[in-house]
Amino acid sequence: MSLSRREFMTKAGVAGAAITIASTVGMPEAMAQDHVLSIALAARAPNGLNPAQTGLTGGDNWAISQIYDCLVNSADGTFGIKPEDFKPEIAESYESSPDAKTWTYKIRKGVKFHKGYGEVTADDVVFTFTRLIDPKVVTASKATYANIASVEAVDPMTVKFTLKLPDPLFNGSIASTLPASILSKKAFTEKGDAYKFDPIGTGPYQVTSVDPTSGVLLEANPDYFGGVAVTKHLKIVFIADTTARTLAFLSGQIDMMEGARTPGWIAGIKQRAAKTIFDETQPGSFNHLMLNLTKKPLDDVRVRQAIRYAIDNSAIAKAYGELATPMVGMIAPQFEGSVKPADLPPELQYKPDVAKAKALLAEAGFPNGLTIQCFNSQREDYAAIMLMVQEQLRAAGITLDMKMIDHATFHDQTAKDLNTIVLNSSSYPPVPTFPLVIQLASNAEVKADGSGGTNFSHYGVAMKGVDDLLTKALAEPDFEKRVATVQDIEKQVLKDLPDMGIITLSYVVARNPRVDLGYPVKSGYAYWPLHKAKYV
Amino acid sequence: MLRLIVTRLLDAIPTLVMVLILVFVSLRILPGDPAQVALGEQATPDQLNLFREQMGLNAPLWQQFFSFGWNMLSLNFGKSLINGTPVIDLLAQNLPYTIELTLVATLIGLCIGVPMGVFAAVNRNKAPDTGARLYSLIGYAVPDFYLGALLLIVFSLNLGWFPINGGGDGFVDGIYHVLLPAITLAALKSAFLGRLTRTALLEVLGKDYVRTARAKGADENRVIYRHGLRNALLPLTTGLGLSILSTLSGSVPVELVFNRPGIGSLLINSIAQRDYPVIQAGVVMFAFFVVIINLAIDLAYVLVDPRIRVK
Repeated sequence: MSLSRREFMTKAGVAGAAITIASTVGMPEAMAQDHVLSIALAARAPNGLNPAQTGLTGGDNWAISQIYDCLVNSADGTFGIKPEDFKPEIAESYESSPDAKTWTYKIRKGVKFHKGYGEVTADDVVFTFTRLIDPKVVTASKATYANIASVEAVDPMTVKFTLKLPDPLFNGSIASTLPASILSKKAFTEKGDAYKFDPIGTGPYQVTSVDPTSGVLLEANPDYFGGVAVTKHLKIVFIADTTARTLAFLSGQIDMMEGARTPGWIAGIKQRAAKTIFDETQPGSFNHLMLNLTKKPLDDVRVRQAIRYAIDNSAIAKAYGELATPMVGMIAPQFEGSVKPADLPPELQYKPDVAKAKALLAEAGFPNGLTIQCFNSQREDYAAIMLMVQEQLRAAGITLDMKMIDHATFHDQTAKDLNTIVLNSSSYPPVPTFPLVIQLASNAEVKADGSGGTNFSHYGVAMKGVDDLLTKALAEPDFEKRVATVQDIEKQVLKDLPDMGIITLSYVVARNPRVDLGYPVKSGYAYWPLHKAKYV
Repeated sequence: MLRLIVTRLLDAIPTLVMVLILVFVSLRILPGDPAQVALGEQATPDQLNLFREQMGLNAPLWQQFFSFGWNMLSLNFGKSLINGTPVIDLLAQNLPYTIELTLVATLIGLCIGVPMGVFAAVNRNKAPDTGARLYSLIGYAVPDFYLGALLLIVFSLNLGWFPINGGGDGFVDGIYHVLLPAITLAALKSAFLGRLTRTALLEVLGKDYVRTARAKGADENRVIYRHGLRNALLPLTTGLGLSILSTLSGSVPVELVFNRPGIGSLLINSIAQRDYPVIQAGVVMFAFFVVIINLAIDLAYVLVDPRIRVK
């Protein structure tokens, strides 16, 4: 082969141009931006739109919540926190047996699946829930649905759930959760693996296209039983980087964006665009500090009390402005079952007191303070909270020798019982027993081989816990009585201090004032309906 | 030439095998359970076990390795553990954007860097040389994610000349979208290539044959471009290859700031999610690119320097 230098340079240039052209042709044509309501979420690309699949991102959840309906749901922009707070959706009515172990739902007539897949029947509901409880099928949040003993179609439009334990808040704990969005049995069986990117729901929007680079494009479902969505097109864009997302929002390219849950972020946006509206869900995530009772000196209640007195939750919450609320016990103050400082005896109120913390440490044999080693996630919310906690503890003579590690590694090492003080950030539904079962029950104890649960403090094993009270609460069919028992658990935990609530941290979306959601966002999951949203 | 290509490709086989072993072993040593990441912290042990079983993560390591090696040889990269998408599709969706960014950034870097280097060398120790050196210093010193954000704020947000983010749809829109990120990467590239050109050219301009050319009364432009620059192309070719490789693997911050699809950000995301099949395929693909670009550099040497061709 003979090639002169000049020929080489020419051919190389042509080849380069050809590759550039080849790399850009064949991409989807841009959709006209007119009347397309857009929201940018913090994820790199859609992972799927099957509500029961694993690995979904927050962005996927936004899309899913527009595409599907559940049997019942909370009112727009709120969390149903009591049994009477839920509105029928696919179900037109429901009833519970007196022991709260049998729940029967009457399916609304004429609810149509998208794209001609027929009307919803009891079969679709049974299909959806059977997958969720089948141990041989990998689905999201399996533990959430473990209380369902069976689900059956009583007739073509009636479904009956039989539970293992009473659940007076079944609508909140199960029937209105996102993975329990009703699937089309016919479409799911027909499409197989393809269903997750070509889903069929009953919701106000149906899928037009799913593209890993341009996002999910939805259009109004003309047959929606709740009325056709006000804005015809909805675009869900995936922008992982906060700076890129913020710039896209400030430039007006997108209408709404998932915000950053860091101190000062809202103020920064307001400086640039003062009229921006911030929609925040209260409470958002629960941020707890779990103390490993098997590690010295955390087995000494005086040391745990010193830590509690040294931490000023209100100061940490204040750093986040309107995004955070200081926690008193395990349950977010916005939810039923939580305790208020005024309801507690003075010794359980733990008003921040550095002098008292030092005195307790001295009493426990640490007059010169102590050092505790732990590790924490680098994720921005984890890092910010723990750095503030570290600083507050330092003032009381407690040095946290803290390593910051990658988030997946943090979870892996924590699940193997290698951590000492664990910051845990979780979003829970408004079900009073939920965080208690997951974080305090002895059968959820963390294990060194990684096969245990998320009771990272070993409460109920390293010391007597609240298993008895928890059993009592879970067996109680009356909601108010259940809540009272949960409050007793809260008080016991405040005495023992294996776990301490720090702050709740809201999920926040910045919204351009040109968009009216049609209702105020007060609480709820980290996604909300957009079918009433319009340009103003 | 054909013999050179075949020899180089055969030489690359042990390198690729080593990469396969390294990527497999390092991922298994890395803490973080892909099943836990996929199913969430509150997944039940039974579900975690079932997921691992379905994804082949419960098989003995040697079995996983041979299965992985065989799959790589047969170009079966498997499916993402997180979303079940075939890895080949994920690579195909992202690779064109990475190639596009690399090519455009390299082109801009060359167009700025080489003339700047020549100008600096010709005006050694004068103001243009000082200016070029200062530019190089700034190019090296300013992090690309910072420069990217700065350019975005000025040219996209404030002036509205460029789009804020994305990869663009179609050729023209694609070029429009790639310009600002490419300029960001080209700042470092031009600094590197400019300095390299200056150094190589200064060395060549001090050679006897250049002095002879000048003594014979050759035109200064002919001396610089025909006798000087042509002979300085060898180190520049090496530098260009290195620069392309660094862009292929190091464009992640720019991809993130400009929200561009690309292999770099795909890999970073997959590492955070412990998505083994995507990481493995991505790293092997990068290794393959290194081999190909090194081969291209070797071939370019032959074309650029007749002495190598004769040897």
